[in-house]
Amino acid sequence: MYRDNSKIINKLTTKIFIVVFLLCGIGLVAIYSASSNSEVPFFQRAVGRQIIWMVLGLLIVFIMYVIKKEFIFNVSYWLYGAGLILVILPYLFPSSGGAHRWLTMGGFSYQPSEIMKILLVLAIAKYFTTTEFSHSEFKVLVIPLILTIIPTLIVLNQPDLGTAMIYVLTLFPIMIWAKVDLVNIFILVSPIISILTAFNFYTFFIWLIIIIGVLYLKKIKHWHFILIIIINLALGTVSPYLWNNLRPYQQQRIITLFDVKSDPQGAGYQVIQSQVAIGSGGAFGKGFCQGKQTHLKFLPEQKTDFIFSVIGEEWGFVGVSFVLLLYFLLIYLSIKAAYRVREQFNSLVIIGLTGILFFHTVINIAMTVGLMPVTGLPLPFLSYGGSFLTSCFIIIALIFNMNRELEEFDL
Amino acid sequence: MTFFPYQISKNIKNITLSIVAIVFLTLLYRFYQIQIKQHNKYSGIAEDNRVRMVSLEAPRGIIYDRSGNILVDNKFQYNVFIIPFEIDSVNKYYRRLGEIIGVSEQTIKKRVQNNWRGRFKPALVAKGVEFSVLSKIEEHKLELPGVIYKLDPYRSYPSPVNLTHVLGYLREIDSKSLKKLKKYGYSYGDLVGWEGVERQYESILRGEQGYQYVQVNARGRVQGELESKENVQPKPGNDLYLTIDLGLQDTCEKSLSGQKGAIVVMNPDNGEILAAVSKPDYSPRIFSGIIDKTVWDSLRYDPERPLYNRISSATYPPASTFKLMASMGALKNNIVDPSWTVNCPGSYKLGRRTFKCWREFGHGKVDMVKSIEQSCDVYYYTLIRKMDLDLWANVVRKFGFGQATNIDLSGENIGNIPDKKYLNKVYGENGWTEGYKLNIVIGQGEVLVTPIQMVKYISAFATDGKLVHPHVGLKYFDNEKFRTFTTEEDSIEAFSPPTWELMNHALHEVVNDPAGTANLANARSVEVYGKTGTAQNPHGENHAWFVGYAEDGESKIALAIILENGGSGGHDAAPVAGKIFNYYVDNFWSHNQQIGQK
Repeated sequence: MYRDNSKIINKLTTKIFIVVFLLCGIGLVAIYSASSNSEVPFFQRAVGRQIIWMVLGLLIVFIMYVIKKEFIFNVSYWLYGAGLILVILPYLFPSSGGAHRWLTMGGFSYQPSEIMKILLVLAIAKYFTTTEFSHSEFKVLVIPLILTIIPTLIVLNQPDLGTAMIYVLTLFPIMIWAKVDLVNIFILVSPIISILTAFNFYTFFIWLIIIIGVLYLKKIKHWHFILIIIINLALGTVSPYLWNNLRPYQQQRIITLFDVKSDPQGAGYQVIQSQVAIGSGGAFGKGFCQGKQTHLKFLPEQKTDFIFSVIGEEWGFVGVSFVLLLYFLLIYLSIKAAYRVREQFNSLVIIGLTGILFFHTVINIAMTVGLMPVTGLPLPFLSYGGSFLTSCFIIIALIFNMNRELEEFDL
Repeated sequence: MTFFPYQISKNIKNITLSIVAIVFLTLLYRFYQIQIKQHNKYSGIAEDNRVRMVSLEAPRGIIYDRSGNILVDNKFQYNVFIIPFEIDSVNKYYRRLGEIIGVSEQTIKKRVQNNWRGRFKPALVAKGVEFSVLSKIEEHKLELPGVIYKLDPYRSYPSPVNLTHVLGYLREIDSKSLKKLKKYGYSYGDLVGWEGVERQYESILRGEQGYQYVQVNARGRVQGELESKENVQPKPGNDLYLTIDLGLQDTCEKSLSGQKGAIVVMNPDNGEILAAVSKPDYSPRIFSGIIDKTVWDSLRYDPERPLYNRISSATYPPASTFKLMASMGALKNNIVDPSWTVNCPGSYKLGRRTFKCWREFGHGKVDMVKSIEQSCDVYYYTLIRKMDLDLWANVVRKFGFGQATNIDLSGENIGNIPDKKYLNKVYGENGWTEGYKLNIVIGQGEVLVTPIQMVKYISAFATDGKLVHPHVGLKYFDNEKFRTFTTEEDSIEAFSPPTWELMNHALHEVVNDPAGTANLANARSVEVYGKTGTAQNPHGENHAWFVGYAEDGESKIALAIILENGGSGGHDAAPVAGKIFNYYVDNFWSHNQQIGQK
């Protein structure tokens, strides 16, 4: 019924490609500046290595662009399974600094939880596409929830809070675009909010009223209604009691589970230096390679997690606005692509992958200005590092691939 | 696969786009704030300045005795640090700093290496420096960028007692412990409780380090505190109260001074340890500053082993204090009754071997009470011949021997209670003879117990069979209220009330009958019960035991005393008990006070 215009690269793809191309260029400039005072040969410097990774990335885009969508759809669950094995694999090797995040082979290390982000999106998208339940029923969420929770728990244990956050957050745009009833998403997150609000009687009381109000307005079946209230009430009453009865060291153990920055003082220092660098950049910045904080190496992790601070210092508010605009365009165009495609699987994959890019971008940039804690999530296309850059190119390649349909619906 | 046309509603698309736009606008606004509105503030900081992070050490919890007397406190001293990141030419710098502090360049280098916590973090180079050194540092500030000093807490011991082995001490964390504790926020250079309650209650006593950021100019002058939400105030550790009574502890330490051994005094009703001494000990004050290596080595290699906790880690043969075990086993299994008598001529013949009684000329006719009162060996040689060794071992185990008491001090030894299985294992199926039993029944040979097990044992008599959990942790103060520790309690059900009554009668006679072995343990105006023991020691002088309890109406205290190479139980250990009981009577019961209240 529909023509597959796989030969034709549609306009959205072209636009996204240009945005990505610009971001990569800006990344190289910033990395160059951050590593400019080193005297090693060009291709052994960070910027040289990053260029090599980018060329490899482009290759990945071209290869993945021509893979048949049907094939990707068919192997989605298998890929998810393989991804789980990959994520567990680091546990078979001795830990590095107490963490099981990396697979190291001959001087090259890779973080398998990175690719798992993408495989998780594929699996959940396939489930929503093929499930027979109506998407307005709550039980449609059970399998996606399990698919998400398994890798999340493994990654939390590694420990890598940032990646775990991405897994969980990515579920939300997919659920919404799979037409899951908002009230079901509300029910899904209500127990978590109950636990969090339960430590103050009034907040918990207000929250309970909100739950009852929403359930009543949405005309939830009686026994469902009662069950949900009971679950929330039980969690709310039991959890502060349980918490207070834990020994201090047990409480500490739980806190550290969600607080993976093993080095809180170091993290605080980074945020302050980052803000000083960005703030001193002013409206127009200090200019290329002129960042004092950058070049005196006051700014830590400046090539990787805090690359945006380098941009803030050297290119000022103008530069920051331009880069933010590019990221907004990237997300905006991707959402348009997700809206445009007429196959549910394609649409859900695009929105899920867009979610990954969006959350990474926002959490990273917010971190550099102290709006979010330091979780070690890099910035797509800008941060130095092959593992994550490759993932970003795979994401873009998949978005292009899924967008490769239906010329006549192009907007 | 079956694809069908899929159309997401325009609403969902628009809502998604709006959320994205709002998030991006928020970010943009934040950058506007920092880069445009607060630009002057930040460019001021950035000009020549750097931000420096200073950690604020949290004082550890204070340790009190049961009535609130301070045992371990915190004092403050000036420590000097350097921030590696702010130093350019290392060698010249270390030499200069070494000259000022009064140590060699190498020492400084080594301390920086040992205390390295990261480029931006201060590394400790000198503890407890004098004011004159600080003023010299201030003078030479320009040559020494990145040197900072601040007031940090350290442990002080204001009380007159040592209480060495109960309190334990702090040491810098080693890499093995760091691996385990890293997830609780420990890092190199942190002090951690190494022995005693400092170790046992580490998680309660330890505070949370805070940190603040200061602005430093190019000349190394602090320009002021940086206002930032990243500043964190240190949180002091929780205060800990021990069951120890300061005055009683002092009395016990003094009465054991110059000797080797241990004293444990406990409330037999609830397992609260009122005093615990292990001698020789050392003053915990030596751990206050940077501990001198020669002092530490002299402690470690001292042949008298002052670091050794004799309260719960050392084992000794219990000797005659164990004679009650065979009596109770015999009564329970109706092997003999209390009126059964043995004639003691001073020795007992088994085959070709002769087993001597401690009293060369014998005790004459001896019944059960008299056998305990006068500690007749021949009575028990005769009795154990009628008993199975495992039956005896089972009775002994009922009192908690051969198992941990789970006292809240690390390194507890469980001792050894030989039974048939044990002897078969050590000597082979036929490798041991009936003669071994004769040695075991009088608490010699392979029978090994700790002083803490002994005080639990004698407490069971004071309470007719209650098995308490000995502990030194009473309560701690957290979140504005006291929290207590859970203790397990058990009881021995196997023996009838008349059995307990008879045994206590015998224990009373030991102290009160003129013929008893422990008359010297008696105290004014209270009822004292007890049993002596003299453990043969193939390596030297005998060890002297006294275990017993004193009773005044409802109140009781129990104690166990061991004097290593101290002579005989009745002659040497019993008078120490008498002194302790008398102190207790004078200071508590004569004022109608309950145990440990003051």
